[in-house]
Amino acid sequence: MSRLRASGAAWIILLIAALLAGCGGTPSGGGATQPTTAPGSGATAAPESTAPPASGQTPATGGVLRVARTAAPDSLNPGAAYLSEAFDLFVLVYDTLITTDLLNQPQPQLAKEWSVSDDQRSWTFKLHEGAMWHDGKPLTAEDVAFTFNMIKEFDSFALIKDFTTSVETIETPDPTTVIITFEQPVANWVERFNGVFILPKHVWEQFPDTATALEFENREMIGSGPFKMVEYRQGEFTRLAAVKDHYLDPPNIDEVIFRVFTNDDAAVQALRAGEVDLASPPNTVIRALQSEASIKVEIGNALSLSDIILNVTDPENCPTEAGGKCTGHPALRDVRFRQALAHATDKQQFIDVLLLGLGEPGISLVTPGHGEAFNDNLQDYAYDVARANQILDEAGYVDSNGDGVREMPGDPATPLKLRFTYPSDQYAGDGPRFSDLLSGMWKQIGVELAVQPFDADTVTSICCPTFDFDVIRWGWGAGPDPASLLYITTTEQIPTGISETGYSNPEYDALFVEQGKTVDEAKRIELLHKMQEILLRDVPYIIPYYPQNVEAYRSDRFQGWLIEPDGLLSLSGRINLTRVSAVQ
Amino acid sequence: MERSDYVIRRLGWAIFTIFFVVTLNFFLFRVLPGDPAKSGARDPRLTREAQEAIRVRFGLDKPLLINMTGDPFDSQFFRYFGNLVRGDLGMSYNFSRPVADLLRERLVNTVLLVMVGQTLAILIGLALGIVAAWRRGTALDAAALVFGLFTWALPTFFLGIILLIVGSTLFGLPVGGIRTPGAAYASFWDEWFDIGRHMLLPSLTLTIIFLGEFLLIMRSSLLETLGDDYILTARAKGLSDARILLDHALKNALLPVVTIIALTLGFTVAGALQTEAVFSWPGLGSAIVEAVSRRDYPMLQGAFLLIAVSVVLANLAADLVYSWLDPRVKN
Repeated sequence: MSRLRASGAAWIILLIAALLAGCGGTPSGGGATQPTTAPGSGATAAPESTAPPASGQTPATGGVLRVARTAAPDSLNPGAAYLSEAFDLFVLVYDTLITTDLLNQPQPQLAKEWSVSDDQRSWTFKLHEGAMWHDGKPLTAEDVAFTFNMIKEFDSFALIKDFTTSVETIETPDPTTVIITFEQPVANWVERFNGVFILPKHVWEQFPDTATALEFENREMIGSGPFKMVEYRQGEFTRLAAVKDHYLDPPNIDEVIFRVFTNDDAAVQALRAGEVDLASPPNTVIRALQSEASIKVEIGNALSLSDIILNVTDPENCPTEAGGKCTGHPALRDVRFRQALAHATDKQQFIDVLLLGLGEPGISLVTPGHGEAFNDNLQDYAYDVARANQILDEAGYVDSNGDGVREMPGDPATPLKLRFTYPSDQYAGDGPRFSDLLSGMWKQIGVELAVQPFDADTVTSICCPTFDFDVIRWGWGAGPDPASLLYITTTEQIPTGISETGYSNPEYDALFVEQGKTVDEAKRIELLHKMQEILLRDVPYIIPYYPQNVEAYRSDRFQGWLIEPDGLLSLSGRINLTRVSAVQ
Repeated sequence: MERSDYVIRRLGWAIFTIFFVVTLNFFLFRVLPGDPAKSGARDPRLTREAQEAIRVRFGLDKPLLINMTGDPFDSQFFRYFGNLVRGDLGMSYNFSRPVADLLRERLVNTVLLVMVGQTLAILIGLALGIVAAWRRGTALDAAALVFGLFTWALPTFFLGIILLIVGSTLFGLPVGGIRTPGAAYASFWDEWFDIGRHMLLPSLTLTIIFLGEFLLIMRSSLLETLGDDYILTARAKGLSDARILLDHALKNALLPVVTIIALTLGFTVAGALQTEAVFSWPGLGSAIVEAVSRRDYPMLQGAFLLIAVSVVLANLAADLVYSWLDPRVKN
């Protein structure tokens, strides 16, 4: 009996010893294993486009920059990918004709200059000479024409297809000139030319139709950008190596690795432990990270917004043929009621509680990150419960049975009880807190919320074009074009499932069409400002806040970051990854 | 009943169960609200034409069960079934890659992790259970019992995060993943050493979480056996403690343990979802979660089929082992 006991215990001790031995026996001792650097090329000249770091010396070359991401790319094929993690790679591996800077202004990329014809339909691009594909073949105007034509012809090309609609002809008078002509003037030209990744004809011409092209895994990812694919392990990491002789923006670093962490805490811990150099930490850990000497936290604008969707669908506009049920609460169709809700919504409280102060009060479907197109003259509904109550009193919404919830004017059987939902998987962290805050705010004006969270897919199915809801909390990430979200409130989009509110206003629709043809920047901005004014007046959405982008990096490892105080924050974008250098 | 009859009957049931699961899988995911062509992760800005193109590409434009307008078998269900019989699990909507390839990659990672974790849990759990039962009523027994109950009740993600932070800060262990990205390995052993380092914390988590169950079941089963008359007889015959335990008590006490081991092993392929999530382990569990949120039907069908097959096979194995351990079962 004693033998058994001894052997049992010894077993366990041995196992634990074996486990611990594994810890101690690592080659790098206590630290994380340093990934082996890919062989760097001899090119050391500082590129003109990259400003030297503050010290004024030539940036050091070399180094592997490791970026933490909380999701993996869904595909390496730009025609099949939808996630931003895939686009992180595309912008580094591929070139576009033009690009946008941190102030959301157009800048040259593959095209060194461009001009538009007098009728504003034809755009002439002069390409950089010396652009090469990663397999060593030269990139010519032929490739650009091929890319636009191919995407335009295919039935589907994920998020890129729309950028090629209404392209009429593409001419290539010589190997470095491309002339793209549209059927009519297009105001969102920046987004279009910035959105189409130029693909190599010699790789993509083998696909006769959409289906075969979209099944292409594109593992080698032959592009012309400053980084090229080295190693891809789905769900684990992606390694890109610098193209040191790139014609435009050769990186200083040797390699960038995007690594997947399936939870935020692990990503933050990896940054602390020095396993990664750059991460996007959740707001809750920012203060702790700021106190670490070797970690720097940056906060800046993002092209995104949060929204409270009000179902304002008029039964006359109900898209029954598209599955519309249109069961929105009748009070939501009254603009006075919606304005009262806006007055009763304390945006600052959301920012303080949910974002720990890292956000700006929202007001319009255009974000401050969009620059001048954002109408900063708008006067928002002040948080004023008394005013909100007064509006409802005057409009005849009274609480006749004294239960604290108002009823419809002349209809005591219909209380102001609204169904409220949100995609619980997307707002796993702060969903319940947001609901509690909003319920509390609106309760003060006699409006009750019945909260019922669903997963994102279910929210989509009751949302649009079904309109089988009252109020939804959701959010948008906008494209660089300021009108990229203004079209979701057009009447045309009600049956397509893109309109979430069912809002319909002919004046607004006309303005939307008008701005889409207005290439003149100042004139277009005037129209966009007017549209934002109308939306604020009619309140189909309440925009609680513009969340800010938070990124943290190891300041002991990399330097020379470009941060625009009022611009967009993008440390893992092409601008910064081709610019930063290793700390010596 | 003859032994071969018993085996054939069990096999028949296993095949029927798999067929049933295959059919159920198809409908289970399709009764959920939601639409793969515009599910959560996809951009809602997709035009209607683009959504339609996706539906056509995935065959979702076909009728669900029976095609009333054309070839009656040109429906989603018969396409799925026909492909399955040919061994084709289809293309993942989310990754635009064959489901079989994706499952294979993930399955290897999962089995590696879970097998190590479970084997350790079984060995340690059973050993502790035996010790606790044999030394019933002592401080050792009480400690083992408390330890078993405590670890069994411990939330996986909580234990995982604690181990992650401690392991990373104090021992320099990797925070997650299965290998160091970009590492150039000098040899095969170098690579496995790196993978082992990455596996240490997640498999330790699994071991701690799983072992309580084995410990408690082993203990109670052995206690029951030790109270039986034949143990007393054995003792009266003057047999040594070790012989009583090993030859008489343990063999009989193992029956419920075999069941629980078989069930656990069957679910191995489902992965250790929470552990995988905490340690960013690229396994099957996290792939399934992702597939659910993206309404990736082919991926879900493939994964569920895989789980069903392994659970059924594990049960079949348990049945067969059982009939060998305890011949009464056949009847």
